[in-house]
Amino acid sequence: MTDPRVDLLLALGDDELVLGHRHAHWTGVAPHLEEDLAFSSIAQDEIGHAVVWYRLAGELTGKDPDALGLGRPPEGYRNAILVERPNRDWGYTVARHYCYDIAEDVRLTTLADSLWTPLAEATGALRREERYHLLHARLWLDRLAHGPLDARGHLADGLVAALAEAPGLFEPLPGEDELVADGVLPLASADQHTRWRDVVTAELTALGLEHVLDGSAHHSDGEFVPTSSGELLDTGDGAAAAGAVASGGGLGGRLGRHSEDFAEVWEELTGTYRAYPGVRW
Amino acid sequence: MTTRTVPTADDVRAVLDTVADPEMPPVTVAELGMVVDVRVADDGGRTRVEIDLVATFSGCPATAVIREDVTRAVAAMDGVDEVAVRFVTSVVWDPERITLPGRRKLQAFGIAPPGSGQTLVQIGSRTATGRPVGVVCPLCGSTDTTADSPFGPTPCRSSSYCNACRNPFEVIKP
Repeated sequence: MTDPRVDLLLALGDDELVLGHRHAHWTGVAPHLEEDLAFSSIAQDEIGHAVVWYRLAGELTGKDPDALGLGRPPEGYRNAILVERPNRDWGYTVARHYCYDIAEDVRLTTLADSLWTPLAEATGALRREERYHLLHARLWLDRLAHGPLDARGHLADGLVAALAEAPGLFEPLPGEDELVADGVLPLASADQHTRWRDVVTAELTALGLEHVLDGSAHHSDGEFVPTSSGELLDTGDGAAAAGAVASGGGLGGRLGRHSEDFAEVWEELTGTYRAYPGVRW
Repeated sequence: MTTRTVPTADDVRAVLDTVADPEMPPVTVAELGMVVDVRVADDGGRTRVEIDLVATFSGCPATAVIREDVTRAVAAMDGVDEVAVRFVTSVVWDPERITLPGRRKLQAFGIAPPGSGQTLVQIGSRTATGRPVGVVCPLCGSTDTTADSPFGPTPCRSSSYCNACRNPFEVIKP
């Protein structure tokens, strides 16, 4: 019988590792230097956080953190499908960054109350560091939402796509009942999902973007949006059409069932380790 | 019978105060507030030193180098047979842990130390672009400074600009 805490730690670590890897794809090619720096730095933080979780999992399993992070077959990874998707464009990148970092905030706030002390302790440094990610995500959400029509359209498309798969971040873990009963996980995934939805709904509504919550990239009856320059933009007809909306809520990742996009991440992420198993750096 | 010198925890701490941070060499790991605990165990004539450190940021890639540097420095001490260095999460690093000498050295190195007026602001926000942040420039002392980015060359530093001496500079993140 496997320790359900290992599944929890792998889900936490794999989300961070895989999204960190995707964020790092902006290194060198971001729209401007500050964002190159921002995404590189956030990627480094997330991968560092993955190591924190793998180290804890290593204490339970006796496995090396590198072997846990880089030495599993694709179906062994427990990350949500949302984080394995390519960056697409800036609008999707910002939308996913926002959805994920609000989820991480809910998750770390929950785990801070864990009765398993090493887990609760580990959230201290992570929450301190994640403040910068949240700040960055909200900044860009606000900027694109008030930006020109084109920016707002890309953001809305990105939000529709990211929101469709965000439930995967809260997919119940195997052995979750036991984790909740033991106080390791003080709040079940479904309840964390509710908290997340409350935050996201309030913040997107405040930006006049509540229509994305229903899967629509634009208001059905047209929409006037005040921009930073004070103009009113009609986004009803001009907004780009909604991207393909994934069905099924992006579920499956916590059971090791991934999308076609994961193969690319896995190949790249584990390539060096597979070529030189057990390598140290 | 020969008498062995067994170092005290304070002796070990004194050595840690000489181990340079790999990314900010003027300051030591002790000055950065990374030392959480030092224990010296005399186990039947063998002296084992255990050192608990806290990383400034979890994702800091320098921790492996710091571990090696600390291990090497302490292992070179008279009477030390074994050194075990580990990074702990029971303590959360905070810039307030940086000592006064550490702060002075950071400032001389061109990095605004904690206490320079840094706050967690929405840098570069739509409504506050170019907003003065009032961090004391470590190079000229002016407070006519603006924040460039909450991120910087290492996880623990952000980037700012001084309008008075027209130099970019880094700030220890709050």
